[in-house]
Amino acid sequence: MDYIIEVKDLTKEFGGVHALKGISTQVETGEVVVVIGPSGSGKSTFLRCLNYLEVPTTGVIRFQGEPIIPNSNLQRIRSEMGMVFQRFHLFPHMKVMDNVTLGPLRSLGQNKAEASQRALELLAKVGLSDKAQSYPDQLSGGQQQRVAIARALAMRPKVMLFDEPTSALDPEMIGEVLEVMKALAKEGMTMVVVTHEMGFAKEVGDRVLFMDEGLLVEENTPAALFGNPENPRTQSFLSKIL
Amino acid sequence: MDFRWDLVWQSMPLLLEGAWLTIRLTSVSVFFGILIGTAAGMARIAKGPQRYAAAAYIDFMRGTPLLVQIFLIYYGIPPLIDRPIPAYLAALLALSLNSGAYVAEIVRAGIQSIDKGQREAAQSLGLSTWDTMRFVILPQAFRRIVPPLGNEFIALLKDSSLVSVIALEELVRKAQIIIGRTFRPFELWLAVAIVFLIMTISISRLVNAVEKRLKVVE
Repeated sequence: MDYIIEVKDLTKEFGGVHALKGISTQVETGEVVVVIGPSGSGKSTFLRCLNYLEVPTTGVIRFQGEPIIPNSNLQRIRSEMGMVFQRFHLFPHMKVMDNVTLGPLRSLGQNKAEASQRALELLAKVGLSDKAQSYPDQLSGGQQQRVAIARALAMRPKVMLFDEPTSALDPEMIGEVLEVMKALAKEGMTMVVVTHEMGFAKEVGDRVLFMDEGLLVEENTPAALFGNPENPRTQSFLSKIL
Repeated sequence: MDFRWDLVWQSMPLLLEGAWLTIRLTSVSVFFGILIGTAAGMARIAKGPQRYAAAAYIDFMRGTPLLVQIFLIYYGIPPLIDRPIPAYLAALLALSLNSGAYVAEIVRAGIQSIDKGQREAAQSLGLSTWDTMRFVILPQAFRRIVPPLGNEFIALLKDSSLVSVIALEELVRKAQIIIGRTFRPFELWLAVAIVFLIMTISISRLVNAVEKRLKVVE
C-alpha cells in the first residue's frame, strides 16, 4: 500500500490529561480523510500531531515511510505538508502576495519572479487575483482563509491538513471556502480535514474517522459511517448533529 | 532676589553643548541597548542554557543602581585590565548595558505577545526557527514595542545625567561648572530642567510619529 502518512500508537498528554489515547491509522496518497467528533475528542490534537505542531507523547508518525524526528527531518517534512488553521493565521504585517511567497522564498529557495508567478496563479485559483496587494485585515474571513489555502499550496505540498477551516467563519462565508477545498480534492490532493461540516464529509470524503475521548472509535466510508454507524458512540454523536 | 534671565541666555551655548553630548550618548546607548536587548530578550525565552545567562544579566542590570554600574566600569575595571577606560567609553558601556536589560524585557514581552498561531503558521511552511523570528515574529513584535522603547529612550536620557559623576561634560555637568563660576543655582537648574523637557517632549513626539507610521495605533 502507498501510504503517505502512517500513524502508529499515537498518544498525547497535556499536564496529566490524555488528549489522545493510542491512535493508529494511515492516509493513502490521493485520499480525502475527514475527521469528525465532539469538541474535546482530540481531533485537532490528532491533526496537529501529524506535522508535530504538537509533539506526540508516545508513538510514531511516518511521512512517506520516514519517521518524523524533530531537529532532523521535521523542517523538510513540514514544507511538504500544507496546513490550514481555524483562525487563518495569516501574517498581518505582510501583503497577501508576501504571505503566499514567504514559504517558497525561504523554504524552497525559489526566486522572486518564480514565487510571485506561482502566487498569482494560486490567488486566481482561490478567486482572489485582485487582492494580491491587500493586507489581511482588509479581507473578509472567507477571503483570508482562501489566502491561507493559497499560502499552503504555494509550497506544492504532498498533503494538506485542514484544522476546522470553516469554524471561525460567518455562515455566509463557509461555502466559498468549502468550494475551494472541494476543487482541491477533485484535483487529487491528499487531504486530512478536521471539520464539523458533515455535508463536506459526505460529499468529498473518501473515508471518515470518528473520534471520541481521545480514541479513534470508528472509521469507514462516509456512506457506511453516516448511513450505518456501528459503534454506539458514533450513533449517539450522529443522532445529535444530523 | 531677582531672576537673572541674562544668565540663562548666556549659559545656553554651553548648556546646549552639554545637551548635545547627552543626546549623542543616549542615542548611541539606546542603539546598542536595542541590539543587546533584542539578543538578550530572545535568549531569555530560548530553550537552551543561554536563557540563564540572559536572566542573570537582566537581573543584575535591573537590580543594581546605574550609578554603581558606572563606578564599577569606570573605577572598578581599569585596575583589573591595567589601563584606564576613557569616561565617554565607560559611560557608553554602562548606559548600553543598563538599557539593554530593560530593552530585553520589552522585547521578551513583545515576542510573547504575538499569537502562537503566527509561529505555527511559519513553521508549517517549513521556515527555520531563525526565519520564523526574522520574518514573522520580530517585525510584528517591533511594532508593538515602539511605545515602550520610546519610554525607555526617555528614561535613559534622564538617567544619563548620572554620568556627570565621572566628569563627562554632559548637560548636568555643564550646569555644575557654570554654577561654580556664577553661584546662581536656581537659574541654571531651571534652565537645565527646561532643556531636558524640550528633549523628552521632542522624543515623545518623534515616537508618536513613528507609531502612526507603523499603524500601531489602530
